Amino acid sequence: MPITLDGTNGITTPMYNGSITANAVTPSVNMKNRIINGAMVIDQRNAGASVTALNTAPYTVDRFYALSVPSSKYTVQQNAGSVTPPAGFTNYAGITSTSAYSIASTDYMLFRQVIEGYNIADLGYGTANAKTVTLSFWVRSSLTGTFGGSLSNTSSDYSYPFSYTISSANTWEYKTITIAGPTSGTWNTTNGVGIAVTWSLGTGSTYSGTAGAWAAGFYGSATGATSVVGTNGATFYLTGCQLEIGSTATSFDYRPYGTELQLCQRYYQVTDANGSPVNIYPGTPNAYANVFLSVEMRANPTVTFSNAIAAGGSVYSGATGAVACNYATNQPPTVRSVSYACSRTAGNFGASDVCGHTYVRVLTSAEL
Amino acid sequence: MYKLIKNSLTNQINFVERLSDNAYIPFDPANTDYANFKREINESVAELQDADGNLMTAEQAKQFVKELP
Repeated sequence: MPITLDGTNGITTPMYNGSITANAVTPSVNMKNRIINGAMVIDQRNAGASVTALNTAPYTVDRFYALSVPSSKYTVQQNAGSVTPPAGFTNYAGITSTSAYSIASTDYMLFRQVIEGYNIADLGYGTANAKTVTLSFWVRSSLTGTFGGSLSNTSSDYSYPFSYTISSANTWEYKTITIAGPTSGTWNTTNGVGIAVTWSLGTGSTYSGTAGAWAAGFYGSATGATSVVGTNGATFYLTGCQLEIGSTATSFDYRPYGTELQLCQRYYQVTDANGSPVNIYPGTPNAYANVFLSVEMRANPTVTFSNAIAAGGSVYSGATGAVACNYATNQPPTVRSVSYACSRTAGNFGASDVCGHTYVRVLTSAEL
Repeated sequence: MYKLIKNSLTNQINFVERLSDNAYIPFDPANTDYANFKREINESVAELQDADGNLMTAEQAKQFVKELP
């Protein structure tokens, strides 16, 4: 059966007495791009607010974290500076240096995404069949010169530093880096750390290595790369990040928004228990409820509670009305659900309080 | 600072609260916060309260963490 591939109609193949056509720009639902949220669209935690990079590596836009050792040398904000993104994109991660900091040998300022082992298992890393991958991205900086980053493994003991050049200040530039698959190193292929993809904003000599080769040890950047945090107010904007199999960068893998969100929710999700049923224990301050998570998480998640919804932090029963409560998990959360206790901040539920409704936002995190 | 939390059904201790942000962390080796909890206790970077809110000594905390999965 003949199959025709062209740049206008995509793939065309005869079928019965007609034909089917796959449009070349149909949104992808596969995982050509192993980076999640590479277009920086989803920002569940911060909703566009600025995040200060810390040594605890807080998350910025979904799946990307900002590591700063020492802390507080740069900020990350979705669409910081409100510049026009590259054609085809609506968002970017906007990084801004907060001082003119001189990098010491053991410092590292890394903007990173860690890819789960399941999502790189087919790359064959650490074997003779390791596949070549290509990293591509759009970058815009107020600085010019040679910049760096790296790929690294599960234990951060095997790395591939890379470098790229930004030629024009304050101009979006498209970069591609092709990386031969590593035949050594330990690479998780389940739900742990698979590959860490790093963009360096300044890395000391201890953690900088020779660009273009795999090496034992952890390297966050290439030797001699420009330090963004070395210039107060310097900007470094990033979007369209893609890691794909092959030696050539292809067009950005636009997945449907709902699909991309679900991919993010495996690692972090927000669930509103907005009027959820609650079992009240009369004569005590306690009531119990649970929420089911919309996407099964990578691991049993860490849980926090927020009152940031209408009537948040309260339990309502027909007999008593709304009462303020504190919230805590009362059983270990699982990948699929969170069971939690609502405890009145004062007094006990009455004898007629048997069931009611709870209002609270449940935040679950299973990041790598 | 962390605090051990009892499972209300089994009365066993199988998760911990990080008091700085009231985050509840299950004892799951795949959970990154759990890994950080164990590291911080082992390195004496953080303190640990028992389920009644009593501060454990560093040695008690390390011994407890040593027996975790």
